Amino acid sequence: MTVGATPAPLVELGGVSVTYDVPRQHAVVEALQSVDLAIARGSFTSLIGPSGCGKSTLLRVVADLMAPTSGQVLIEGQTPACARRARQIGFVFQEPALLEWRSVLENVALPLELQGIGRAKREAEAGRLIDLVGLSGFEAVWPSQLSGGMKQRASIARALSTSPHVMLMDEPFGALDQITRDRMNLELARVFEETGVTVLFVTHSIREAVFLSDNVIVMSPRPGRIVRNIEVELPRPRNLLVRDSQTFGELVRIGARELEQGYDA
Amino acid sequence: MAQRFGTLARMAGPPVVAAIVMVSLWEGVCHLFSIAPYIVPAPSRIWAAFISKPGSLLFNGGVTFLEAITGFVIGSVLGACLGTAFAYSRLLARGLMPYIIAANTIPVVAIAPIIILWFGHGMQSKVAVTAFLSFFPLALNMMKGLQSYDRVVMDVFHVSAASEWQRFFKMRLPNALPYVFVGLKLNVTFSVIGAIVAEFVQADKGLGFVIMTTYRTLNMPRLWAAMLLSALIGILFFALIAWIEKRTIPWHSSMRDDK
Repeated sequence: MTVGATPAPLVELGGVSVTYDVPRQHAVVEALQSVDLAIARGSFTSLIGPSGCGKSTLLRVVADLMAPTSGQVLIEGQTPACARRARQIGFVFQEPALLEWRSVLENVALPLELQGIGRAKREAEAGRLIDLVGLSGFEAVWPSQLSGGMKQRASIARALSTSPHVMLMDEPFGALDQITRDRMNLELARVFEETGVTVLFVTHSIREAVFLSDNVIVMSPRPGRIVRNIEVELPRPRNLLVRDSQTFGELVRIGARELEQGYDA
Repeated sequence: MAQRFGTLARMAGPPVVAAIVMVSLWEGVCHLFSIAPYIVPAPSRIWAAFISKPGSLLFNGGVTFLEAITGFVIGSVLGACLGTAFAYSRLLARGLMPYIIAANTIPVVAIAPIIILWFGHGMQSKVAVTAFLSFFPLALNMMKGLQSYDRVVMDVFHVSAASEWQRFFKMRLPNALPYVFVGLKLNVTFSVIGAIVAEFVQADKGLGFVIMTTYRTLNMPRLWAAMLLSALIGILFFALIAWIEKRTIPWHSSMRDDK
């Protein structure tokens, strides 16, 4: 670690390995193999790799949903458990996972309610976030009445509600159709630029990763290791025109090549 | 207003028409084939038996209803508590479940005399039989409902640093409510049956008592009146639970009108 001009990273993984038993097959799966990773404050980092490369496991370790077998994770110098209890972590899952008996507003306000924030205050904040993710007018609606994309918007607003220091997103748009997905990418880029939150984003799509990120981390298939960190120097705010640029095409090609090599290895 | 009336007509219309048709057929068949009133009394005879002493039948119906609903509440609450304990302790569930299922298969007519011996001749023994029957559906449905939460939703609560109480009251319990109502609706039927069977064994009032005494004197129209009244109690009781359900879990897919 060099100390000096570079500010301390917000999230830091040192030698993180995760293995788990598959009891029925009497096998031990090595999901992550000594992963080192530093994520700068205010950056958007994507993790990309084939299925089963441990991308989701890595997010779960950072969110304290799972303990690493060895190595350590620090979020602003604290353990993930401390950061979680201090409500500094937001998590967007692949499924929206909304509570079907609560309106959109009550769903978005849930983490604040669990934190013990009063109704007026939490609903004002939830209302602001619903505006931010473009769901205005749907506050009183039940989740079952929303489309897949709208549910995921609500889920993103919910994850933002406690003003987390880091947002972990596990393939949040994986279940959406391509047109909706493109729109959600654009909106997420806008939300990221407006809030300045640090994002760690898991995806299968190299185009999605390049479009959204400052850094694209390419991972190898099992056991998951970091193969390459691609820096994306595209201008912000991002818009769909970025995708027509030469740089964008070049970065997507580099990412795709790295992914292929991962398969061969 | 007109629309409300339209909805009511659409909801109530078919069963009312069906009732008119069935009762007319029944009446007609009884007269046409001169069926003896003690075999199948015509609806007009049953009505006459009811109207001759309406106070007595309504009083006994009220007694049965009170026994049924009290036992229903006690049995459902106790069942829900055990179901909750089962949902949280796999060990407890595994240890006791075989016996719970075995107890549940005991015919109520076999257990009712024993319970009445324990609880005495008053209303409390009928309530106890009813509570016994209402216990199992809630225990099983509560356990299933509390266990059937979405793992990802649990992860959301974990990341949000929710306490165990918050997980229960804000997630697992609301999630279990549709199951709870399945159990409660089963218990509507069971509690009316339980009360009447307990009255068969020993009672000096209630519809079960009326049915037994009228059977001994072969006053069949009055027996039929008591039987139909017990069915009516069941329907009203069921409607009450369905009404509460609609107000408690309006978000649930089973509550949608557009089916």
